[in-house]
Amino acid sequence: MTLTRLEKTPGLGRLYAKAVTSARGRHGDRLPDITLELPEATIDRDQLASYADVCGFRKSDILPATYPHVLAFPLAVSIMVDPSFPFALPGLVHVANRITQKRALRADERLTLRVSASDLRDHPRGRQFDMLTEATIEGDPVWTESSTYLRRDPHPALPRERGRVNQHEFGRENAHSSPSAIWRVPRNVGRRYAAVSGDVNPIHLNPLAARLFGFRRAIAHGMWLKARCLAALEGRLLDALTAEVEFKSPLLLPSTVGFASHPQDGDWTFAVAEARSGRPHLNGSIQV
Amino acid sequence: MTDLRPAAILGGNRIPFARANGPYARASNQDMLTAALDGLVARFGLQGARLGEVAAGAVLKHSRDFNLTREVVLGSRLLPSTPAYDVQQACGTGLETTIHVANKIALGQIENGIAGGVDTASDAPIAVNEDLRRVLLQVNRARSVPQRLALLRKLRPTQIIPETPRNAEPRTGMSMGEHAAITASQWEISREEQDQFAVSSHTNLAAAWSRGFFDDLATPYLGLQKDQNMRPDASMESLARLKPVFGKDGAATMTAGNSTPLSDGAATVLLSTDAWASEHRLPVLAHFIDAETAAVDYVHGGEGLLMAPAYAVPRLLERNRLSLQDFDFYEIHEAFASTVLATLKAWEDPAFSRDRLGLSKPLGPIDRSRLNVTGSSLAAGHPFAATGGRIVATLAKLLAEKGSGRGLISICAAGGQGVVAILEAA
Repeated sequence: MTLTRLEKTPGLGRLYAKAVTSARGRHGDRLPDITLELPEATIDRDQLASYADVCGFRKSDILPATYPHVLAFPLAVSIMVDPSFPFALPGLVHVANRITQKRALRADERLTLRVSASDLRDHPRGRQFDMLTEATIEGDPVWTESSTYLRRDPHPALPRERGRVNQHEFGRENAHSSPSAIWRVPRNVGRRYAAVSGDVNPIHLNPLAARLFGFRRAIAHGMWLKARCLAALEGRLLDALTAEVEFKSPLLLPSTVGFASHPQDGDWTFAVAEARSGRPHLNGSIQV
Repeated sequence: MTDLRPAAILGGNRIPFARANGPYARASNQDMLTAALDGLVARFGLQGARLGEVAAGAVLKHSRDFNLTREVVLGSRLLPSTPAYDVQQACGTGLETTIHVANKIALGQIENGIAGGVDTASDAPIAVNEDLRRVLLQVNRARSVPQRLALLRKLRPTQIIPETPRNAEPRTGMSMGEHAAITASQWEISREEQDQFAVSSHTNLAAAWSRGFFDDLATPYLGLQKDQNMRPDASMESLARLKPVFGKDGAATMTAGNSTPLSDGAATVLLSTDAWASEHRLPVLAHFIDAETAAVDYVHGGEGLLMAPAYAVPRLLERNRLSLQDFDFYEIHEAFASTVLATLKAWEDPAFSRDRLGLSKPLGPIDRSRLNVTGSSLAAGHPFAATGGRIVATLAKLLAEKGSGRGLISICAAGGQGVVAILEAA
């Protein structure tokens, strides 16, 4: 394993430019054996407040469970634009995200973040891999994340999987038939989340750019939607938890969606679906 | 109907108070009240508990926050089946919510409850221009397209200038400071007296923080550990350098140093029956004995805007058969140093006591060493609705430390109102 320690957070704008210019000619069937580390990252409270505003969290000294993702994301992108990375970043689809925290993280704590790519494997529609992030505080791993990305294969070898058992079936049904909340997701949420997360992938910013990548309109960031779901469970979640989501389909902006949540012995299932059609956007669960 | 049983005060939690546009500049009332409430919940192990009620409020409030306290409860760690409601009585809000909760407990209607308040001068509501609002409402009422178009021609570029909240009395157009300056001049409260009073507020508050008095009454928030406005090194010299901001040239005595600053903050208080407290092994700090609210005609009646507590206290004392000297602690809210000093002077004044209060003799002086012994609003800051909760929890803890005795709370409020209360050691 090659461990590279970074002095400061890499700039995402430059990384995305590199992602586009170096998109062609990538190949191979191995993930690079790179681990990037950002030691002792401090929390910018102003940026945290902006993140809270966009996602619907309270301003607090406790970090939203999704917040370290934003801190570590530039490291993940750095790995994905490394010359040895087999896939072009444009066109990668975020399909799942799992975050586990052992305790509540405070805004005055310094997080050491380590990111690596792992477990390249088949997906019914192509190849998938995980970007793994670990946040440690004074050597104690307090927060881990696995973000799964799909590289769609234009000519899938395997037949498309149908009728797979869905562990979040309950939530999915409810988000459409009897949602616990209706969210009107505004047109500008992609640009607003881009401003606070640095994730300036053009598919989130404006409809024309999104069209270039095959979407009818700009789409919301998956991690914004996950954050919005956790914010909706304000006050109900314990400090130690695993929050897992599958992104089922892009959320076109603007949209009206239904959110459903279901508590069960301290655990939760939840889902977001397009309000009118019931098309699922996200299925998720919280385990304590 | 059960017998009346004075409510027990078990403790409080507030966030340190910040100056406006300071560290809480981006925090909303809901953010701050949630932080204060969740801190209280954590301190008393109330996670997942259903309480009798939570009563709180804010003075400067966005229209979207109509159900502020209930929204806060829903986002807190209390059980969502805990009812809540908002109260607004200007700077009396925090004490008035305590009265509501204490009364319901005393009547046996609830076993426990939380009172509190929050205010932000930073995240203040800004409303659309009044002319614009009228035109828009007329457009909404119009029945035909031509009518609507005719109305839209009434729109003017100047109407984009929004309405901002003003710290002024609607009927007099004068700010609270300007009102207080009139009272200060009527009662001949000198600049030196006011500055001296402000210095002791800072000194007392700083001493209380450094002896750890607030360790179980406050929880740091957004990186702020102590009240931001506090100046432990405040002195007569430093205060003397400030220019008067309220009052007429000759009689101008009120400065930014002897007036409260615009502030942001939130405070909460936990109350219950004695039985509930002992069931949950929570020590009782004090009991809420009685309260009184008064109002004065500051518009046409020639009384000072902030003088209502001077009227409320004698009524409260009479009902409880007490004299003004029967207290171990006095907590008189320092809207302005001159307000406290004018109130004390009024209680010593034979003519005022006879003509205004209808008393045969004045209430008399108090032992000043028992007044605001851990500082008050001049040093701590004054997020309007949060002040009552700060004072109730502070006084309850002072009484618990002493182990005996009685304390008087007096809070003046906009609109010529005053809320006062008596607490007794448990």
